[in-house]
Amino acid sequence: MDGIARTAVVAVVAAVIAAGGTAWVMGTSHQDHAASATGRGLPEEGAPARVPVGELAGAAEATLPDNVPNPFEGDAGAAEEGHRLYDRMNCAGCHGYKAKGGMGPDLTDNHWRYGGTPVQIYKSIYEGRPKGMPAWGRALPSDSIWQLTSYIESLGGSFPAGSYHAGMQGDLGDQKGGAQGAGKGKTSK
Amino acid sequence: MPSDEHAGAKPLGRKGLLIAAALGSAFPIAAGYAAYSAYQTSQTQAAQPQSLTGATANFAPNDPPGEWRSQARDYANTRYSPLNQVNRANVARLKVAWTFSDGTTYGHEGAPLVIGDTMYVVSPYPNVAYALDLTKPGAPIKWSYDPKTSPTAIGKACCDAVLRGWAYANGKLIYNTLDAHTVAVDAQTGKEAWRTKMANVENGITMTMAAFAVGDKVFVGNSGGEMGVSGWLAALDTNTGKELWRAYGIGPDNMTKIGSDFAPFYPWMRGRDMGVATWPAGMWKTGAAAAWGFVSYDPATNLVYYGTSNPGPRVPAQRPGDNLFTSSVFARDANTGMAKWAYQYTPHDQWDYDGVNEHMLLNIPWQGQRRDVLVHLDRNGFAYTIDRHTGQVLVAGQYGYQNWSSGIDLRTGRPVVKPEMQPKIGQKLERVCPPDIGTKDWQPPAFSPRTGLVYAAIFNICMDLTDHAVSYIPGTPYDGMEMKRYPASGGNWGAFIAWDPVHGRKLWEIPEKFMAMSGVVTTAGDLVFYGTVDGWFRAVDAWSGKVLWSQKLSSGVIGQPMTYTGPDGRQYVAVFAGVGGAAMVSKDEPGFPPRGGTLYVFSIDGQSPSSGGGMLVTSPGGAASLSDETQQGRH
Repeated sequence: MDGIARTAVVAVVAAVIAAGGTAWVMGTSHQDHAASATGRGLPEEGAPARVPVGELAGAAEATLPDNVPNPFEGDAGAAEEGHRLYDRMNCAGCHGYKAKGGMGPDLTDNHWRYGGTPVQIYKSIYEGRPKGMPAWGRALPSDSIWQLTSYIESLGGSFPAGSYHAGMQGDLGDQKGGAQGAGKGKTSK
Repeated sequence: MPSDEHAGAKPLGRKGLLIAAALGSAFPIAAGYAAYSAYQTSQTQAAQPQSLTGATANFAPNDPPGEWRSQARDYANTRYSPLNQVNRANVARLKVAWTFSDGTTYGHEGAPLVIGDTMYVVSPYPNVAYALDLTKPGAPIKWSYDPKTSPTAIGKACCDAVLRGWAYANGKLIYNTLDAHTVAVDAQTGKEAWRTKMANVENGITMTMAAFAVGDKVFVGNSGGEMGVSGWLAALDTNTGKELWRAYGIGPDNMTKIGSDFAPFYPWMRGRDMGVATWPAGMWKTGAAAAWGFVSYDPATNLVYYGTSNPGPRVPAQRPGDNLFTSSVFARDANTGMAKWAYQYTPHDQWDYDGVNEHMLLNIPWQGQRRDVLVHLDRNGFAYTIDRHTGQVLVAGQYGYQNWSSGIDLRTGRPVVKPEMQPKIGQKLERVCPPDIGTKDWQPPAFSPRTGLVYAAIFNICMDLTDHAVSYIPGTPYDGMEMKRYPASGGNWGAFIAWDPVHGRKLWEIPEKFMAMSGVVTTAGDLVFYGTVDGWFRAVDAWSGKVLWSQKLSSGVIGQPMTYTGPDGRQYVAVFAGVGGAAMVSKDEPGFPPRGGTLYVFSIDGQSPSSGGGMLVTSPGGAASLSDETQQGRH
């Protein structure tokens, strides 16, 4: 993460904390992670949100291809940074420190209500989802959301970038996920 | 059909006595055991054995015997029914009379109410209410009411989108919706009478507790102990929904409604603004002390009693201090909300033990005198008998396995914490017992004035705990506890126990393979009913702990059983099957049932106006009486 983006995250977090009125500010440990998403052709801020959640009506084209890959693809450092964010932004509080679910759904299996390709995962983080998932698009810069996406991809349950429609049509249910299949009692993503 | 492995309970032997004695209790334990032994030997005599403890209760508001108008049936929270048509002699003949599915599958933690000839049930999220006509075959729906609860609330509730019941007052059913509103519905028409917004669900505030009504007031509290909320109990006018007062569990005295007549028994809870002074600067604001358990009421003193949740964040290293008034009990004036006294069960709660569990108001013989007490089985593993006028702890006995404390010091009222059981950030602490959800969670016990005992469904579990530092972000968990839960020694996740609240000891225990997380009902038929997370619903002999009847239901039982008399004069027993809530910590255990949402209603031989021959209502020559012809072979 470059310096500006990191500062932005810290500033946003600090602002959020200040708004909440608590005096405890988390310590920030900085990892040297020089890769800049911008240098990797990061989609324009907010563009992934225009990839539809549901199926496209008629012959309309999405303004961003639904097979857009994670710009951090193949960057182990991004997943590591995403993991840090996952703990620090309280994602772990709902989805669990092992991401196996709790208040929120399991992120390690291959059941994805709102889609399991990188851009769909990005969208769910950016926009929030109706059953309590906050919209992080206003609190986190695009880099951070892609890094969170990288972390979730590293858990093994996500779908490859090109499989948007296969996922929507239920063709990937038998894909080997990080978990032992869709378990009982989990909240749906 | 009685199950083989549950032929009876194990009376506790000398070992149990030694453990109790080691806890430093100053009362005559031996006397209680002698009474129990005397009962054992007198069992064959025809005469009704005497109460084993002498404990009694005030059953106000003394509702009609065949009705069930509030979750706990009475203000004292005894859950004792005076009905005895179903009793030890005939309980083995209980069969399903009819069922009702509400079509939802979140955890079903409530009990139906029966008022007059109508049964009222309310579902977990989306909190739809139904009135069922008990005079008609099949108990058809009279009306339903859907408050259109916001789905956002589902992801803000820590422990499933549950509702623990509701209240009836002045012709209205009053309950909390998961999205932090309180609604009142006309019991006759099902029309909404009023709706009061209590909090903003987007900030993680939900409401899951059973509203509790006394006269023209209904008491409601919030959930969100894992979300950094400010916890409160509020009184609303049952006629208008107008808020009369709101008392917080944390903050300065004007928020906690602490005035000059606040008199906790123990000096360490006295002082100015203790809800601020026992926290690091500003931390009280997100310190929780939510009020999501049951409320009880003493008509003699006009006091309400309720418990408060764990402190926020759950990570103790971030909030040095006692963190008053979290994991505590409050006694408050019902009219003004002003606190009379408080007692903190687990100061600086480091394991998420809360203090929300019910407070059952009993009267006990104590050193030659009658003492008015409250009995509270805390999540921390200790069962307290406390003078409800002063807040003095009389008895604090261990009712299940725990290893975080070497006992409660009755001189100071403080638990003696084992230093090695205190978690540190980033270090895995193995085998802490009980875990966050306690030796018993919210699920309410029952009391029988006949035996003088308290009956409870409990857990037998531990956790491996790793704390993580957390920051407060509104609407997200302010939590930090990473846990793995598993059974303690014995391998059984749960148990059902009989507890002597006077002498602070367990008389018998029925081990359960899965957690026992249901409410309990006791009856004048000397029966005690409870359910298990793997879906068994059982009737037990209140005296001996012998299991007399068991029925497997379609899902796990975490609801509150109740009993009533139908318009046909028969006694019925009802309970919801619908696993969820905190029971989901054991969902990976082989045999854990799927979710569900079905109310089961039992009667002797399954008889009811809806069963047996001749119950098909047809008009002469109508379709149903001519099925072969009119259906034209379609079946």
